[in-house]
Amino acid sequence: MIRQSLPRTPNRLEAIENSRALDEQFLAMIVGLTSEVTVLRARLDACERLLISAGALERGAIDQFDPPGDAQVERDAQRQRILAKVFRPLREAAQGDLATKRGESA
Amino acid sequence: MSVQKLAERRADLCHPLIAVPSHDELVEQLFVRDLKQFVNGPLEGVQAELADEEGRSLDKAGSNNGVADLRARMSQHQSFRTWLALKRESQRQLWATVGDSVERQAPQLEALAEIAAPRGSVRTSESFVPPDYILRGDIHLMPGGNAHDDGSLMQGAVMDRGGAVFMLGRNGGMLNDLRGQTAMAHVLTRRPDFTPERILDMGCGIGTSTVPSAQCFPDAEVHGIDVGASILRYAHARAEHLGAPVHFSQQSAERTDFSDASFDLVFSCVLFHETSQAAMFNILAESRRLLRPGGLAVHLEVPLLHDNSDTWVELNGELEAQYNNEPNWRGALTADYMKMMVAAGFGDVMTGYQPTSPAARQGPFRFGAESEGVFRSWFVASGTA
Repeated sequence: MIRQSLPRTPNRLEAIENSRALDEQFLAMIVGLTSEVTVLRARLDACERLLISAGALERGAIDQFDPPGDAQVERDAQRQRILAKVFRPLREAAQGDLATKRGESA
Repeated sequence: MSVQKLAERRADLCHPLIAVPSHDELVEQLFVRDLKQFVNGPLEGVQAELADEEGRSLDKAGSNNGVADLRARMSQHQSFRTWLALKRESQRQLWATVGDSVERQAPQLEALAEIAAPRGSVRTSESFVPPDYILRGDIHLMPGGNAHDDGSLMQGAVMDRGGAVFMLGRNGGMLNDLRGQTAMAHVLTRRPDFTPERILDMGCGIGTSTVPSAQCFPDAEVHGIDVGASILRYAHARAEHLGAPVHFSQQSAERTDFSDASFDLVFSCVLFHETSQAAMFNILAESRRLLRPGGLAVHLEVPLLHDNSDTWVELNGELEAQYNNEPNWRGALTADYMKMMVAAGFGDVMTGYQPTSPAARQGPFRFGAESEGVFRSWFVASGTA
């Protein structure tokens, strides 16, 4: 049999009245991310359960885990990096507004 | 996953050809199913209440066109537009996750589709031109559409798994076969001792309704026709795995190459609303032409619009047609089937509702004018030659 990649974009996607295409794009990205988070959460759950059943982890060990000093520092940095990455557009937009305002005031 | 484990999981899923999701793919598919239930349940519930409020204010204002006026009012609400967009996105996510899963296991599915001694057959035609209504937009937003063909059976595998997830378990789980069971229950309601020798399923897709007809009448020679070569190759292999000898061919239900008066039972399940108004007349005429004297034609559809008194339900159907690409929703659901079937030359025409049957020979064997609700009964028009 001959096989090619399956098509991924359907033919005919009618515009939703009074809606911006961008709104639909945002919504699609949020759904995609929610789907990914759901899969990640399930995978983590599978890891935890497998480790418990293999005796490598005690039940409740993750909930009781208190990261030691170095680990906590690394986690803090990870969190800051994620916040800056995800909310970059908001910061840029605010910076743009600020620059415009300063230009007007000067 | 080990071969043994995979084989066990395939067996659990009712037929061995269906695409088996990995751990992550299953979570993704369950996510889509739950998202759809959320969109169709809590979110739609609020929209229905909003529509009710808008409807009341329209009544006071004296509306002449309930659905169009309600639509105009609802479109002013951002939440309505977001609900609509999320509904469509859930459908796109469905095909995306199923497509990934099918592509990953394509070699295994192709190997499973190689049937050593088939009892049925499949006939495709490179020169076949699908009808316009198939090419204008991909039905149910399935990328590539029903007629997509790359020479393999992957589109059929996508349609099978996607269809089962799309129906949210309301149509017989992974077999997705309750419409076929119901159509056959209607046949037995009309003729308890009927023994058709040749049966044709028009617009058979991957054979979800064709296989129940073969199981209900095991001595009959069963045929299924559709417009897509990929879905027909899959339908054939699927039917073989389910033990149903079916002969599939790539043809339009509007005009087939079968001889006059060559079938005892011709049927279709939810075909008309995926065609056009002109095609409906042609399909009825063709089903009449193919029947032997005394033969029976049965056409099953979703509940008709005039059997719904609720303007919101009607608008919701219209939105589904437009944004989920159902090319002839309004045409098929507002048609006068009694008149059309009589005009096509059928006698003893019956139109009404057949309660959903879990297995054709178990019934229920009743048929009446009232819809028992969406998925609880199906509209059926039937007549004899």
